[in-house]
Parts: sequence; structure tokens; C-alpha cells
Amino acid sequence: MTTERKAPTCVDRRTTIKWLAATMVAANTGCSSSTKFLGDEIPAAPNAEKALLGVAATPSNVGYGTDPDLINPVVPWPRTMTDAQLRTAATTCDMILPADDQSPAASAVGVPDFIDEWVSAPYEQQQHDRELILGGLEWLEQQSQSHFGTTFSSANGNQAAELLDSIAYPDTAAAGNDKLIEFFRRFRYLTVGAYYSTEAGIKDIGYIGNVPISGDYPGPSTEAMAHLAGVLDELGLSLPS
Amino acid sequence: MKNERYDAVIVGSGAGGGMAAWVLASKGLRVLMLEAGRDYNPYDETPMFAAPRDAPLRGTGTPDKPFGFYDATVDGGWQVPGEPYASAPGSEFMWWRSRMLGGRTNHWARNSFRMGPYDFKPRTRDGLGVDWPIEYDDLAPWYDKTEAIVGVYGRNDGLENHPDSSPGVLHKPPAPRVSELLIQAGCHDLDIPCVPARRAILTRPIGDRSACFYATDCGRGCSIGAAFQSTTSLLPMALATGNLTIMTNAMVYEVRLDDKGKADGVNYIAKNTGKHEVASGRTVVLAASSGETARILLNSKSALFPDGAGNSSGQVGQNLMDTVGAAMRAQFPLLENRPAYNEDGAMGLHMYIPFWLYQEQARGELDFKRGYHYEFGSIGRREPGVGLGEVATFAGGYGRSLKEDMRRYYGSFLSFVCRGEMIPNAGSYCEIDPDTKDRWGIPTLRFHFKWSENELKMVRHFQETTAQIIDRLGGRLQGSVASPQQSISRGGEIIHEVGTARMGDNPDSSVTNQFGQTWDINNLFLSDGSVFASKAHKNPTLTIMALAWRSSDYLAEQLRTRAL
Ligand SMILES: Cc1cc2nc3c(=O)[nH]c(=O)nc-3n(C[C@H](O)[C@H](O)[C@H](O)COP(=O)(O)OP(=O)(O)OC[C@H]3O[C@@H](n4cnc5c(N)ncnc54)[C@H](O)[C@@H]3O)c2cc1C
Ligand code: SF4
Repeated sequence: MTTERKAPTCVDRRTTIKWLAATMVAANTGCSSSTKFLGDEIPAAPNAEKALLGVAATPSNVGYGTDPDLINPVVPWPRTMTDAQLRTAATTCDMILPADDQSPAASAVGVPDFIDEWVSAPYEQQQHDRELILGGLEWLEQQSQSHFGTTFSSANGNQAAELLDSIAYPDTAAAGNDKLIEFFRRFRYLTVGAYYSTEAGIKDIGYIGNVPISGDYPGPSTEAMAHLAGVLDELGLSLPS
Repeated sequence: MKNERYDAVIVGSGAGGGMAAWVLASKGLRVLMLEAGRDYNPYDETPMFAAPRDAPLRGTGTPDKPFGFYDATVDGGWQVPGEPYASAPGSEFMWWRSRMLGGRTNHWARNSFRMGPYDFKPRTRDGLGVDWPIEYDDLAPWYDKTEAIVGVYGRNDGLENHPDSSPGVLHKPPAPRVSELLIQAGCHDLDIPCVPARRAILTRPIGDRSACFYATDCGRGCSIGAAFQSTTSLLPMALATGNLTIMTNAMVYEVRLDDKGKADGVNYIAKNTGKHEVASGRTVVLAASSGETARILLNSKSALFPDGAGNSSGQVGQNLMDTVGAAMRAQFPLLENRPAYNEDGAMGLHMYIPFWLYQEQARGELDFKRGYHYEFGSIGRREPGVGLGEVATFAGGYGRSLKEDMRRYYGSFLSFVCRGEMIPNAGSYCEIDPDTKDRWGIPTLRFHFKWSENELKMVRHFQETTAQIIDRLGGRLQGSVASPQQSISRGGEIIHEVGTARMGDNPDSSVTNQFGQTWDINNLFLSDGSVFASKAHKNPTLTIMALAWRSSDYLAEQLRTRAL
């Protein structure tokens, strides 16, 4: 069973511009300290065709309904992001969760595809995130092209980091960058959530469970209890006898 | 079967309906159960071990499935397609329903606390609300029987107004997790009890139902039968007697009355054909959940009962109550980087904080009446889903340091959840909405809801106490503490709605007697939360079932002695 929903809005460069308009007002009134990435080179009246990352397909308005098959789950809506958007997303994901000696980078376990699944879903929250995320990715690309003369995915590490730093740290980010800060926070939230629910992510973070136990639940391990004893000691607490 | 006249026609297959069906069928009565939802088979349909990553959006809740993709709710949630409800201007009420065999028992959290002696006599104690027509001791034997058949883990701690069960009834509670032990130690220092929770989960097998194997999310349902749901216990047991017939996709809209004003059965819509049908019975038992039962009564208008069946007191729809909800979340530096072990356990609560200030309250030292208990959320290192993104928001930044921070902070958060008693008030009730009908043409409900000062003061007390506990454990509160008005849950949000056809001693001010038998129509019984005269802070379902059993025993006896 499916439910009809109102057609979601198509996010294009105009959305990005709306935010930028807001940030530029802030910049012009002088309340911003670092205006480097506030994009004064953006054309005054861009249109969708000029979006640097291309225009994502219009999302479907069909969800999985109120009685989906839980044993054989399917995602009924098609992905909508362009290749260029996915590339930019992959670069951003991998900056958030790069490979290290314990686990692979986010793009190696399908996180960009999950972002695409998410922003292509017909539900209100996901449509809200779609505007934020596609707009944010386009913004990263614009900034990279105008300041570094290269796409965000081929910018060098320092350049890309300089750009991300301007929106990743709310305390030091330029005033007026609120929407971009929100973009980054949300993008990181989804990247992290998607990553740690993969097999590689679960292993990295050390979730142990989802395995049947016969007999009583054993409770904390000896090491865990020893650790707790140290904690209680530090707090001057004890368990009731 | 169309023409068969049953001994009892039961409407609804959840906690109340399931219990009534089993008790009546096992006494040899011929029972027909009508359920608005579809047939549901938990043995085939429960995605026990399915990983979040295999579900759309990693299983995150959506308007189609508000509590997540795998949640055992069919065609429901805060909205049921084609079956609207409204909140009156100035009120906001949320109504969780599901349309499946077994109703909401398929996914409830299974927290099962007995009401105590004070809870049945609240007016005697503090002059507010009304007393129940029974005392704790009247229901105690049915609590024992219900716990024995349902299967409840817990421990007898001999606490004031938190009754012990009879010896041998409770299943052994699972061992506490590290974070629960930490809370317990902090509470011990603050003179607050923290004891094993009681949940309708088997830790030893009963018949075909296995003991919990501590691995799968109970909200998806439990195909091994360890977590109680009517579809793996009461309904199969009732069917095995050969005396129960279940009809699903049957949407009941009114109680039929004969010319003497007795119930004669119900009218329903067969959803598959859209046809209006009749089911006839010597008695009718409504257990469609508090809201729906009130709706059916109010929609059963006749010359004899122009305001609805059973409603000559005018109390049907009144006295709507939900549980007081609030929550605070904190991060605990001392829980960072702790040794990993399997913290799934029985998924939900192993420990909880029962209300502990009865003496202080009796001495007038508290500025609120009634009590609340604590439940805990995000207990430990649980299976990661999208929500783990919160930890990254907490940690901030990105890159390799974020990966290290994730390892460090995972499992170091805890939520403290308030579950409190609401006192009935004149501003909280439901009524038939004059303007709206559902897809079957049945008039729908409109809810009015407001909290009173008492509930807000209770939330304030919870906030202050929680701040103390967090502080004692060296925790860092997440987010700021909003005013009680802003922090308190919305009406219905805790999904413990009860009271819409309360029981009492007096036909002028109550809808049923102590057996759920309506004063107006003596062969019409109510067997769900609608009959609650007050809403203790204790989660209602165990009490719904104990009352349903007691009521069914009485009904059967009345039929046997031909009093009906
Ligand atoms: C997520 C969640 C967690 C919960 N946790 C707890 C907990 O820990 N402890 C606790 O005590 N309670 C809990 N509850 C509440 C608990 O689920 C309910 O109190 C309990 O299920 C109520 O039982 P009931 O029989 O009245 O209604 P339900 O279980 O809702 O069953 C009613 C049935 O009647 C059917 N029906 C409705 N209208 C009609 C009609 N017109 N014709 C025919 N059939 C109809 C419905 O489809 C449904 O199947 C929780 C609820 C939710 C949603
Ligand atoms: S944790 Fe136990 S009771 Fe809950 S669903 Fe899993 S096996 Fe069933």
C-alpha cells in the first residue's frame, strides 16, 4: 500500500543562493569576521542549468507505505543525485570519516549512496535535509571553484579543509553562516549514522550484540566490572549491598 | 457462522481483548473476536535479526512507520490511513493506534508495574480525582494470575505502594548493565531506590514460549514468544480451546440494542468488501482501546440512549488521562572508553527507579500530589543506527579525531525519563467530532487535553532530582532544561491513554461497575483502559489485563447462573 504525498520541491542552485543572500547581508552589515567563503563572485541571477554539480532528478513521492514487507525490505524510491553531487558528497564523507588503521573511509562502505537514498526519500524530514544537503554540496563546489579554481573533489587537502573548517566549527565560523553550519552538522550526523551501522563501522566502534545467548544474560564482563569499580571509587560511591 | 449467536462478541484483540478471549474461551464459552486490523503472524513476520542497514533509511522512523521501519505496527502510528482524529483548538493530542491482530501488544515496551494500595484510593489520600470501586487486595489475585500467564521478570523488594507478587510468580530479572549499576550507586547515595524493573518478558520458558535470548529488539515483536504479545500467547491459547473465532478486517462502529435495551451484538464494516455486517451475541465486550471504545459507545445512539450506549452518566469520553512524560539526557565522562561487552540484554529496562517519596508526601513536604517513576533510555553500547550521529554532534569536528571521539564517547550517554501520574481534569476528554467521518463513514473523535499545575510541579521535581543524580555521577547535562510547560509531553504522546469510561460505585458518576459491566446495559462490558478511574504513574497494560481477567470471570459466572 502506498500513500500519495505532495510532490517534493526540487532543490537547485536557487536554494543555495537564498542562503547566500542571507549570509551576504550579514557580511555587508559587518557582523562577520571572515567573509572569504561568502561567495561574492556568485552570479546575480543564476538558474538551475548553471548549477555546477548539475540538477538532481525530481524525487518520487511514493514511500514504502504503512505495511511494508519487513522480511524483504526494499527502498521503493529511485536515487536522484547527479554523479557530480555524489562525488562531492564522497569527498565530504571521507573528510569526515577517513580511513585509518582500524576501518575504511566512509565512501568505501557506501555512505554516499546512503546520502542519496536519504535525500531522495519522499518524507518531510528527508525533503528538508535534501534542500540543506544539495544546497550545501553546491556551495562547497562554488567556493572551491571560485577560490581555488578547481572542483571540490580535486582540491588539495589543505584547501578542502580550509573550506570545511569555515562551517564545521560553530564557535569560530563566520557569523551569518548558520544555514551552512546546519548543513555540515546534518551531513556529518547522517554520514556517521550510516557509517557505524555498516559491518565495518560496527566492528570499529565495538558494538557486541545481536547474538542469541542461551541461559541467563551474563551481565558485565570482569573487565567492565573492574572498570566500574574504579569509577565508583573516584566518585566515592558504592552499590547497595 | 453469519447466523451464529455467540456467548460473547469481543471487539479488539490487544491486551484487553486478548485476555477476555482467552478467559472466556477457556471456560467453554463460544466467543467471536472482531478486529479492525489485518491478520498478523508474528512467527513469519518478525524481522528478528535484521540489521538496520538492510532497511530503508537504516530503519529510521518516517510518517509511514514513526517508530522505525522494523517496528511491529501495521497501518498505524500517529495516523491511521483513512481514519482521522482531531484535536480541539488549543489542545494537542496524539493518538497512537495500530491495525493488526494483537494491536499494540505486538510492540509495547513491556514495562509492567502493579498499581498499589494508594493508587486505587487516590481521593482518600489527597482529596483529588476519584477512588476506584475496588482496593488493591481485590485485584491482587488477578495480578498474580496475569503475571503468571503473561510472564513478568522482576524482584520483590517490599517497597511502599509497589506490591510484591506472590512467591514463584516473577521470573528472574536480567543482571544490570554497567550504566544501570552506576545510576544505582548514585541513587543509593541520594537515598533513592533503584531496583530491578518489571517487564513482560520470560527469562524461563512457558509452554511453547522460549526464554529471552537477549539479542533482538522487542519493539519488532518477538517470534520466540519471550516478550508478551497477545498474538504469541493469549490468542493461540484461546484458539486451541476450539471456542474462539477470530475475524480480522472487521471495523465495529456500534453496539446493537434489542427492544428491551439489551446489547444484542455489534454492527461492523467488513473492510475487504465495504459491506455492513452484523455479529450477534448474548454479551458484548468492548476492548478496542480507551479511545476507540469511547468512540463506539458514543456512536451507538438510540432512542433509549440518545447520548450513546452506556452514557446516561455523561461520563463516556470524559476523564481522559495519559502519563506525564519528560526526559533529560546527559553524558558521563567516567563512562568513556570503558571495556566493551554485550549490553543488549533484554533490550529495555533491567533497572528502574520506583516512586519513593510517599512518606514525605504524606507529611506535606512535596508541592505535588501522586508520584512518578524513572525509566532510562540509551542504556549502553547499543546497536548503531542513524541516531548515533548525535554522538558526532556532541564530539564536533571531523576527520581522524572524530573517529577516535566516536570510540571514546559511544555508550557514555544516558537518558532519564519521567513517567508520572496525571489527575483527571475537566479540560481533558474526547467527543464525537461533528464535522468528520472516517473512510467508512463512521464519525471520528476530537480530543481536548490539558495538563494541570500538579503535573507541571511534578515535572519540576523530576528535573531537580535528575540534575542531582547527574551531578552526583559527574555527568554533563545535554541541552538546557526548559520550563516544565515546555518539557512536559504532549497529551497522548506516552501512549497510556485511559479513563474514558471509568468504573465506580455510583451510576451517576461512572460508566461501569467494578467488573467493567456498564450500569445502563448489563450485558455490555468494557475490557480495556477506558475503565480506569485514575492513572497511576505505573504503565497501564498489566492492570488492563488483570482487570479484563477479573471482569471476564464475572461475566462467565453471570452467564452460567443465567443472571444475564
Ligand atoms: C511504543 C509503545 C510502547 C508501550 N509501552 C508500554 C509499556 O511499556 N507498558 C505498558 O503498560 N504499556 C505500554 N504501551 C501501551 C500499551 O500498548 C497499551 O496500553 C495496550 O496495548 C492497550 O491495550 P488495549 O487492548 O486497550 O488496546 P490495543 O492493544 O491497542 O488493542 C486494541 C485493538 O482493537 C482494535 N480496534 C480498534 N478499534 C476497533 C473497531 N472499531 N473495531 C474492531 N477492532 C478495533 C485495534 O485495531 C487493536 O488491534 C506502549 C504503547 C506503545 C505504542
Ligand atoms: S530481547 Fe528477548 S524478549 Fe525482546 S525480542 Fe529479543 S528475544 Fe524477545
